[in-house]
Amino acid sequence: MDPDAAQTARESLDLAFHMSNILDTGLDRHTLSVLIALCDLGLNPEALAAVVKELQREPTPQAPMPSSSSPIL
Amino acid sequence: MEEEDQRKVTDLVIELVRRLLSQQNPTPNPPHLSQSLRYAFRILSSRLTPSVSPDADAVAESIKRCLATQGNSSDALTFADLYSKFASKNGPGSVNNKWAVLYLLKIISEDRKNAVNGMDSSVFLPNLGLNDDETGNDSRVLNGKDNRDKTWKKGFLLVSKDPENLREISYREFGNLVKDENDVTEEVLVKDVLYACQGIDGKYVKFDSSLDGYALSDLVKVPRATRTIVRKLCELGWLFRKVNGYISESMDGFPAEDVGTVGQAFCAALQNELSEYYKLLAVLEAQSMNPIPLVSENASSGNYLSLRRLSVWFAEPMVKMRLMAALVDKCKALRGGAMAGAIHLHAQHGDLLVHDFMRRLLRRVCSPLFEMVRSWVLEGELEDIFAEFFIVGQPVKVESLWREGYRLHAGMLPLFISQSIAQRILRTGKSINFLRVCCDDRGWADAATEAVAAAGVTTRRGGLGYGETDALESLVMEAAKRIDKHLLDVIYKRYKFKEHCLAIKRYLLLGQGDFVQYLMDIVGPELSEPANTISSFKLAGLLESAIRSSNAQYDDPDILDRLRVKMMPHGTGDRGWDVFSLEYDARVPLDTVFTESVMTRYLRIFNFLWKLRRVEHALIGAWKTMKPNCITSHVYTKLQRAVKMQLFSTLRRCQVLWDEMNHFVTNLQYYIMFEVLEVSWSNFSNEMEVAKDLDDLLGAHEKYLHSIVEKSLLGERSQTLYKSLFVLFDLIMQFRSHADRLYEGIHELQARTVESSSNPRDKNKPRKTKDKFSEPGYWVTEGRKALTQRASEFLQNMGQDLDALATDYKSLLEGFLALLPVQQHIDLKFLLFRSLMSFSLCCHLNEQSPDDPVDI
Repeated sequence: MDPDAAQTARESLDLAFHMSNILDTGLDRHTLSVLIALCDLGLNPEALAAVVKELQREPTPQAPMPSSSSPIL
Repeated sequence: MEEEDQRKVTDLVIELVRRLLSQQNPTPNPPHLSQSLRYAFRILSSRLTPSVSPDADAVAESIKRCLATQGNSSDALTFADLYSKFASKNGPGSVNNKWAVLYLLKIISEDRKNAVNGMDSSVFLPNLGLNDDETGNDSRVLNGKDNRDKTWKKGFLLVSKDPENLREISYREFGNLVKDENDVTEEVLVKDVLYACQGIDGKYVKFDSSLDGYALSDLVKVPRATRTIVRKLCELGWLFRKVNGYISESMDGFPAEDVGTVGQAFCAALQNELSEYYKLLAVLEAQSMNPIPLVSENASSGNYLSLRRLSVWFAEPMVKMRLMAALVDKCKALRGGAMAGAIHLHAQHGDLLVHDFMRRLLRRVCSPLFEMVRSWVLEGELEDIFAEFFIVGQPVKVESLWREGYRLHAGMLPLFISQSIAQRILRTGKSINFLRVCCDDRGWADAATEAVAAAGVTTRRGGLGYGETDALESLVMEAAKRIDKHLLDVIYKRYKFKEHCLAIKRYLLLGQGDFVQYLMDIVGPELSEPANTISSFKLAGLLESAIRSSNAQYDDPDILDRLRVKMMPHGTGDRGWDVFSLEYDARVPLDTVFTESVMTRYLRIFNFLWKLRRVEHALIGAWKTMKPNCITSHVYTKLQRAVKMQLFSTLRRCQVLWDEMNHFVTNLQYYIMFEVLEVSWSNFSNEMEVAKDLDDLLGAHEKYLHSIVEKSLLGERSQTLYKSLFVLFDLIMQFRSHADRLYEGIHELQARTVESSSNPRDKNKPRKTKDKFSEPGYWVTEGRKALTQRASEFLQNMGQDLDALATDYKSLLEGFLALLPVQQHIDLKFLLFRSLMSFSLCCHLNEQSPDDPVDI
């Protein structure tokens, strides 16, 4: 990677991190960079967001995923 | 490249998962890790395409708005600034899929917010909130499934797939309900209705004769709405049955001559329309194979057919079928031109669909009719096996071909052909036939082709059609014009109609004066014999000689050929005068004009004119003897005074009477010749000039004859006048014989006196006087006294006779003249005027004393 590209990448990441802080997403810089790379590769952002949501919600669901029934409802 | 990407993706995902887990749990345990990994992969593979359009600016805008509405306007501004910088970064090393990044951030932030909010609300109000799980018992089942979707997001619309089970559940409920209510599924009913519309009974929908229609049997349990709609749709089936029934009936009955060509064309047109209908039904049947959604489980929203859809499809065919059924009703009993006329009435409709339909139908129906018109007008052919044409022909003799051979049949005349056109059509075809049969002429074919060229219509079949009434009219007009002209040309030039008319006038109407004079001179003595002793051959010979000795010999031999003597049927007491007549043989084709009845009328006129001539001739003959001559003067000088006076008066009276009679006869003759015959002839000539066709000519001739007959007092209303005239004529003839006798007597007397005076001396007197002596009678040689006595007696008798004659004549003449003004219908002014003039003159003369000495 040439220094310019690296520079651009760094700056873009900074900007994105700043934006994500404003939006209060709770993502750290490293995670964000991974996510950005995945987006660039063409993955569906909705799916990625779902992954993030599910894995961040880790504490509540313990049983196997497909037939999990929430005790709330 | 793909593989490399995949590897990258996998690595990155692993890294992501690790990091996320390490956020919660600093030390992730491997089973948990792998489980999470598997889960992550499942999520990622389930949703491959985003449901929003990739528009980075829109996303940024919505984020800004969100921030602004939350009250973080400074944050919003900062974000805007950041975004603009972020967006401006391009080239290697920058983020390519900016939109995805922004969207990702947005969703994550929202999820965090929702997770915070949702935790609170889900405890108390489970159904409220912006969560995915909304209603239904089975929502848990779907929750973990892949088709999870976000509902309305703040800011912009998400196109979402089928969310919950709500709709599906209600549809299933509905399906159950429908199954409970109906014994029969709608698909089956649709198929049955389609059968009914072709006239076939289906499983449940059958033809009910009491209702006269197709209906669902009452035993089948269906909701009333369905029953009603089925009945409505089956009206089409009923109409179809009617139309089809008519077509098959006609087709069967065709050889039996009940259905004509027009009817056949009508059936063909109907069948055409029905084939369109069958096409539609075939398409619908194919569609009816598809199951109907909502009612069956596995339904697609493709081209299926339900009763309601069927009613929409049937709207247009219903209109058309109704029309056809109405027409069928109307035309059941009609044929030919009447049928075309009835259908035409139906076509007067404002609706474009109906109008076009009727136009198509009528074009086909009227094509046989138009064909017949075309062939009739251009070739004079009448091919009408089923009596459908409005012109009927009758087999007649050649001479009545024009008048009675063809006529119009008003019942078969369709309304779109007007009366005047129909008359022209009739006349044109009649002319062609007339030319072909009577005149042996072939030139009309040229006229026909010319007409066609002028009208711009082809001569081939099917050139004319309904709706082209203008074209038909122009064709007929052109053809009529030319054929009429041709016919008149032929009649005038080849058959010399005018010349023949003139000849008839000259011979039958005694126009050729010198000929008539000669004829009268020659034939006169013959005709005084009784009728049955006269031989017509002799008369024919006399006619010939009369012709030869007059100017008539220079006439066209063809015309003279036709002139003949005719002896009318006679009784025993008739004299030749009563039965003699001339005849003119007008052959084909002129006998169309000079028919039997026309010739009879000419004969009557001839009779009358001949009698008049005879009277005139008689009077002239009398004049010949009455001229002053030496015989009478000689007698006069030799007689005694008393007898002289008698002689005077008798002679005088004779003269006066002769004058009167002559005056009357001359006036009558003048009136007949000039006021009646010549005037009528000039009128007729003028009309012949302007006549455009044979009908005009016939009319003109009729008028001519009629005027002659009426004005010569031969008409029915002038019967009394006619009779009195004939009595007058008789009187005149009597006078003639009297005058003859008188003068004969005078001559005898003269002979006697000459004899008596010269008897002793003149032995060499001319023999003629001796002949008179050979007469037996009372002129025996007596003395002069006896002679005088005889003379006076004779003269006295004659005088009395003459007086009687005179009074009779006067009274009759008065009566005749009195009747004249009563005749309102003819213009007898001239006759009256001149006759009165003579009458007054005679009156005046008679007032003078008959005894005055007048120089004879």
